[in-house]
Amino acid sequence: MAKKYPETKILSRNFGVENSWTLDVARERGAYKSLEKALEEMTPDQLIEEVKTSRVRGRGGAGFPTGVKWGFVPKENDKPKYLVLNADESEPGTFKDRYLMELDPHLVLEGCLLCAYACGLSTIYIYVRGEYPLSIERLEGAIEEARKAGFIGKKVLGKKGFDVECYVHPGAGAYICGEETGMLESLEGKRGHPRIKPPFPAVEGAFGCPTVINNVETLAHVPWIVEHGGQAFADQGIQPDPDNPKALGSSGTKLMGVSGPVKNPGVWEFEFGITVKELIYDYAGGPLDGREVKAVIPGGLSMPVLTADELDVKMGFDDLVKVGSGLGTGTAIVMDDSCDMVEACENIAHFFADESCGQCTPCREGCHWMEKIFARIKGGEGTPADLDLLERLFINIEGRTICALADAAVWPLRSIIRKFRHEFLAKMPGTDAADGEDPKAAEAETVGAK
Amino acid sequence: MTSTNGAPVSPPEAVEFPPKEIKKECDEIVARYPTRMAACLPVLHVAQRHFGGWVSPEVEAGVAEYLGVSDSHIRGLLTFYAMYNDKPAGRHEVWVCRTLTCWLLGAEKLRETALAKSGCEKPGMTSPDGKFLVKNMECLGLCEAAPAVFVDGKPHVNVSNEQLEKLMDACE
Repeated sequence: MAKKYPETKILSRNFGVENSWTLDVARERGAYKSLEKALEEMTPDQLIEEVKTSRVRGRGGAGFPTGVKWGFVPKENDKPKYLVLNADESEPGTFKDRYLMELDPHLVLEGCLLCAYACGLSTIYIYVRGEYPLSIERLEGAIEEARKAGFIGKKVLGKKGFDVECYVHPGAGAYICGEETGMLESLEGKRGHPRIKPPFPAVEGAFGCPTVINNVETLAHVPWIVEHGGQAFADQGIQPDPDNPKALGSSGTKLMGVSGPVKNPGVWEFEFGITVKELIYDYAGGPLDGREVKAVIPGGLSMPVLTADELDVKMGFDDLVKVGSGLGTGTAIVMDDSCDMVEACENIAHFFADESCGQCTPCREGCHWMEKIFARIKGGEGTPADLDLLERLFINIEGRTICALADAAVWPLRSIIRKFRHEFLAKMPGTDAADGEDPKAAEAETVGAK
Repeated sequence: MTSTNGAPVSPPEAVEFPPKEIKKECDEIVARYPTRMAACLPVLHVAQRHFGGWVSPEVEAGVAEYLGVSDSHIRGLLTFYAMYNDKPAGRHEVWVCRTLTCWLLGAEKLRETALAKSGCEKPGMTSPDGKFLVKNMECLGLCEAAPAVFVDGKPHVNVSNEQLEKLMDACE
């Protein structure tokens, strides 16, 4: 049997340790040492440089280089500056940040405090989705402990001029609040309607002030980067492609998860480099007995699907883009051969229709239309023209809205109707596929006709 | 004030908000933000918990007055965010996740079980005896242990139909 790709324990080093969420246990295991080191030895600019050197990319789905983002915060500005930690984790199939917040909230706080020091931020709001009661409880407990210990408040660890406050802000059930500007609106007490950019949050974010927005896992990497140096982080994982300036590489480690009908769903940490197949078969245990993997969405719900033949690809930012999908949140959803792809599309379209904020017509109307068309096909009343109609809808939805929710709806659905076209035709009366002819032949025929 | 058909309409009479039991909690929340409006979401969570699991027009008006926003602003939040109820809730609230992973692992059957057991006509409605409110929720973030439900704000994972029935039986 092939050797398993090894797990690493950097972000996850305290998972499974008794009372890992308490300050005493966390400090015994090294918590806040990096904060002490940074405050003693590094200037804010040196810290930003170190994070740039690490090439760490955002772990929330977009993969933007974190150090670059921090560099956008204007230095000469009298306004207060904020950190809004994106702990909304509303992407379906994603649960990695919950592990960090429940099991190692002090690591999360230390990352936030390092960010606040680097960017000169005075207040940290941790926007946690309302459906994570334990995360909220553990973070609030950790903030209280950290405040008493002098890590939060006036003059953090005696450092003159470094005053920082930290609060948990509970969400109330809205996918769109994971979108950074929707989150800002929600933080300000409004409906989570994403804003038109520019201005970008780094310049004009929460309450009209410069704001850094980072994902939980992203900032949880920073203490290690401070301790070991940005280069040590950059040396891990997948290196950038010198021939492709867009391929920034996937440095460091990542929490990766698998959910769906597999034997051992869960979350693990790996240095980038493991393939989707190794993740699903070696760690998640593969499909249930008697079943086969049919399709995989590699990162949350919002990415194009991979078929069972396409899983020999690394779970990396650039690697998955190269095969027409994306890393997203790095938590895969597996669908097995018992899954009806038409019904799956209806389920997915319903999610986006339900969660569209309603600002932009293509998304507000389009997602409902898509759901209705899938329901029609499921009910045996679809025709091949419906698939063309869907393709036209995709063109008129994708890229025509304020935020990426509409794109996120199109990507998985378009990939499914293209890769599993025969399943849709099989539900359409009068097509060869529905008449029981070889589905592959029917598929080839329709693809050729396009 | 009159409605469109000429019948008189009286605006809801605002409750005194915050009542003394939750005054300290609400005031502390307000102090965290540079604007009072920013306290809307956390204060509505507290208000809903305190006033029997839903935000009535009277509570809505009270919260609006307290935070210096319009009633309609609060109504806009209640109808936008899935966790708030703007109609009377049951004594117990059951959330069934319906998104892809839970759906793949049997969430539809769980929803049917919850509806049948509670007597609720459809998701989002309260049972005729006022005992249960059953809600369809989008991804609850418990996918590695799907299917997932929440009963009265508490998560339950890897739930079978039988287990959900037992959980609901345990509700008074």
